[in-house]
Amino acid sequence: MTNSLNDIRHTKSMIFIGSNATENHPVSMQHILHAKEVNNAPIIVVDPRFTKLAAKATEFVRVRPGSDCAFIMGLVNEVIANGWEDKEFIRTRVAGYQEMVEVAKHYTPEAVEDVTGIPAEQTRRVAKILAQNRPTSLTWCMGGTQHTIGSSITRAFCILQLVLGNMGKSGGGTNIFRGHDNVQGATDMCVLSHSLPGYYGLSDGAWKHWCRVWDVDYDYIVGRFPDKEWMGKKGFTLARWYEGVLAEEELETPSPVKALIQWGCGTNSNSQYNRVVKALNKLELLVIVDPFPTAAAALTKTDNVYLLPGASQYETSGSVTSTSRQFQWRFKVVDPVYDSKDDYEIMSLLVSKLGFADEFYKNIKEVPEDITREINKGTLTIGYNGQTPERIKKHMENWHTFDIEDLQAKGGPCDGDYYGMPWPCWTEEHPGTPILYDVSKPVAEGGLPFRNRFGLEKTYDSSGRTENQLAADGVYNPGSEVEGGYPEFKDVVPGTNWKTDLTQETLKTAIKRGMAPFGNARARCVVWNFPDQVPIHREPLHSPRPDLIEKYPTYEDQPNHYRVMTRYKSEQKPELVKEFPYVLTTGRMVEHMGGGAETRSSKYLSELQPEMYAEINPRLANNLGIRKDDMVVIESPEGSKIKVKAFITPRVDDKTIFLPYHFAGTLMGESYLKDYPEGHEPYVVGDPGNTVTNYGYDIITQIQATKDGLCKVTRA
Amino acid sequence: MARMRFLCDTERCIDCSGCVIACKEGNHIPVGINRRRVITMKQGEPGEKSISVACMHCSDAPCIAVCPVDAIYQRDDGVVLVSKKTCIGCGYCFMACPFGAPQFPKGSVFGARGAMDKCTFCAGGPEENFSKEEKKLYGQNRIAEGKVPMCASMCATKALLAGDGDVVADVFRERVFNRGSGVNAWGWNKAYKKS
Repeated sequence: MTNSLNDIRHTKSMIFIGSNATENHPVSMQHILHAKEVNNAPIIVVDPRFTKLAAKATEFVRVRPGSDCAFIMGLVNEVIANGWEDKEFIRTRVAGYQEMVEVAKHYTPEAVEDVTGIPAEQTRRVAKILAQNRPTSLTWCMGGTQHTIGSSITRAFCILQLVLGNMGKSGGGTNIFRGHDNVQGATDMCVLSHSLPGYYGLSDGAWKHWCRVWDVDYDYIVGRFPDKEWMGKKGFTLARWYEGVLAEEELETPSPVKALIQWGCGTNSNSQYNRVVKALNKLELLVIVDPFPTAAAALTKTDNVYLLPGASQYETSGSVTSTSRQFQWRFKVVDPVYDSKDDYEIMSLLVSKLGFADEFYKNIKEVPEDITREINKGTLTIGYNGQTPERIKKHMENWHTFDIEDLQAKGGPCDGDYYGMPWPCWTEEHPGTPILYDVSKPVAEGGLPFRNRFGLEKTYDSSGRTENQLAADGVYNPGSEVEGGYPEFKDVVPGTNWKTDLTQETLKTAIKRGMAPFGNARARCVVWNFPDQVPIHREPLHSPRPDLIEKYPTYEDQPNHYRVMTRYKSEQKPELVKEFPYVLTTGRMVEHMGGGAETRSSKYLSELQPEMYAEINPRLANNLGIRKDDMVVIESPEGSKIKVKAFITPRVDDKTIFLPYHFAGTLMGESYLKDYPEGHEPYVVGDPGNTVTNYGYDIITQIQATKDGLCKVTRA
Repeated sequence: MARMRFLCDTERCIDCSGCVIACKEGNHIPVGINRRRVITMKQGEPGEKSISVACMHCSDAPCIAVCPVDAIYQRDDGVVLVSKKTCIGCGYCFMACPFGAPQFPKGSVFGARGAMDKCTFCAGGPEENFSKEEKKLYGQNRIAEGKVPMCASMCATKALLAGDGDVVADVFRERVFNRGSGVNAWGWNKAYKKS
């Protein structure tokens, strides 16, 4: 989030696209509804379903799954066609604008209607609402990302906010809600296969930086790998790890995956779940660390499975980073119950047994405070430096001194700080940055320009035009020595830059000069390192509109895409829709969480949502002869099937089927409850929705495309 | 003396059932007994509204009027409570209640239903405050502790308000005032379409 949940209180309009905040982020709704009620801010909800959030909307836009990019570029085009763009903001703080405009021109309201199913009149109306009610807060969630073009869709959202001039302003911003209290923290620590913590990447320099932080020898780390070359290569992703086990696709890896540790992860959130189950049974070793036995524990028929009872969040302590980039301290309520151990202890036992405890714990003597301190020391890229354990705890103890409107402490021991010291919090004196890219405040007081990340100058492929990437003269934070754009800071301490100078001299120097350590540049509309430099629509792999495939084809197949061949063009078959005529999309319900191991083990939550279901429109149900409470079989193009109850509701339209994905415990209606450890069975079970989510992965991130597949529905 | 009241603001209720879970967890209610529930109307259609409902602790409560054994009584602060030791489980109160509040642990067609259970406004029961017996039969006594009921304290959007009726009315009045001049006013959407 560039802003914060609280800052939504100041917005003049909101657009939610692929986000169902009422069910997934209920607490955020108090700020959203505040803005609606007090500012009279319109709420625009763009979704294939009439969600519970749509029930609170002033404008509901039903979009065909996977066509979000076309709609947003249509809004961009409509805003520009009417001259509603923020011309001064674009002139001074945006790069690649003209090149983007050329692409956006294609997406006229009529072209958008053809692709998305949204009436041209509604696209025009929404553009006008956004233009007349600035700033707008834009929120997306997994509905925007889980597509083959998810990375383009999210960029289109950012471009819309740039064109409207809504960035770096209270009430504006791109506000992506994260689902748990520490998803942002996990992301920042890059629990990912393509980057070291803090988004440093996998370059030699990145490894050397972290070796300095950890205070271990670089050559020692090199020695832990079979070959140095693998240190710089991306690993398998969460979405496709099982391909590394199955080894049925073309792989680029020194060895198939033989062992897996699942630490607080429900496998049934993986698409292609039949293949996941197959892989689980092929593993030589599976270790599951969780407070509850997950579906994977019951589904694995081999005896190489170890269940380690992990403690819950109430039985441990430590720092977490919230969706608003705020640090908070979790305090322990009780000691771990029965035989469970907290994550720190499990990790420590594992590391000791593996024989590298000395290196691993070199700086960590006091757990968990020293872990936070090590993160403070190394994560310079995003300003994780100033949030020391002492400061975080002080904030927790003085909640009452922070203002709900702007999150700043007014007096008291935290005077001037923003709650949780939202990153970047450059130094121990810095108050945190409540709104990213806000040039109205000095950097030392939480202001920031756009980061200079991609060089000083660029000649665009599409136009041949060369553009300076730094911000225009006159755009700077108050008190800045340079009254315009400037590059990132380096060589303040010779041989280092602001990201690698562990003395933090560079950060302090920049702030003393009133400047941002990462420079002052423009936000890019053209991303020259992506296959689509400007976001464009491409049809989902399994498209319900074969007539559009030729006009909006997908990408070429990608060998060695995070170590595994990923099919695009060869998977996009226009004839598929004849046999699988309905669009399949998935999501969450408010009562359950992720794979559901925890919530389906709660008797009260289970009582409220006891059954797996498929949402089917009344018209479609009648056409297929499906009555209330009938069981239906949903089949995917990959040949997998689930048997679930029909929930007949106008939430979905008559071309779309919706599945929640929290269930497990049965396969095609057959129960495997007996395979759970005795006394640990969940209260409610059902077929996993992800058994039938289709093949398809984002071109950049490889996130699974669970929102826009195809399926066949029959009465069971 | 203050008069306790519930108010559910349907503009704010998001059908998350946080109130239901708070009530059940906080008072250890058996599965199948619903002191509170969230009702949704026009689900999935424009005009969808949800409302959280429990015993409203009515003035002139019809349940009190029909109870043949006088098991149900009203406190000075308006809270309606049942004495489970007196209740014979006849079910008259359930028939009389306009909100469907009374709940029964057993439910065969002709058999006994067991003693009635319903929302206590988190005010315990006739037994001594904070006694084991009170906790076992009725759950928490948060009112005696000076706290609002569990359901309202957990509501994410502050849709569900509980407490002194005058204060509740003031909070709601202020909200309605804020909304009043805008798009939510009756007829304005039809009459003065914004764009």
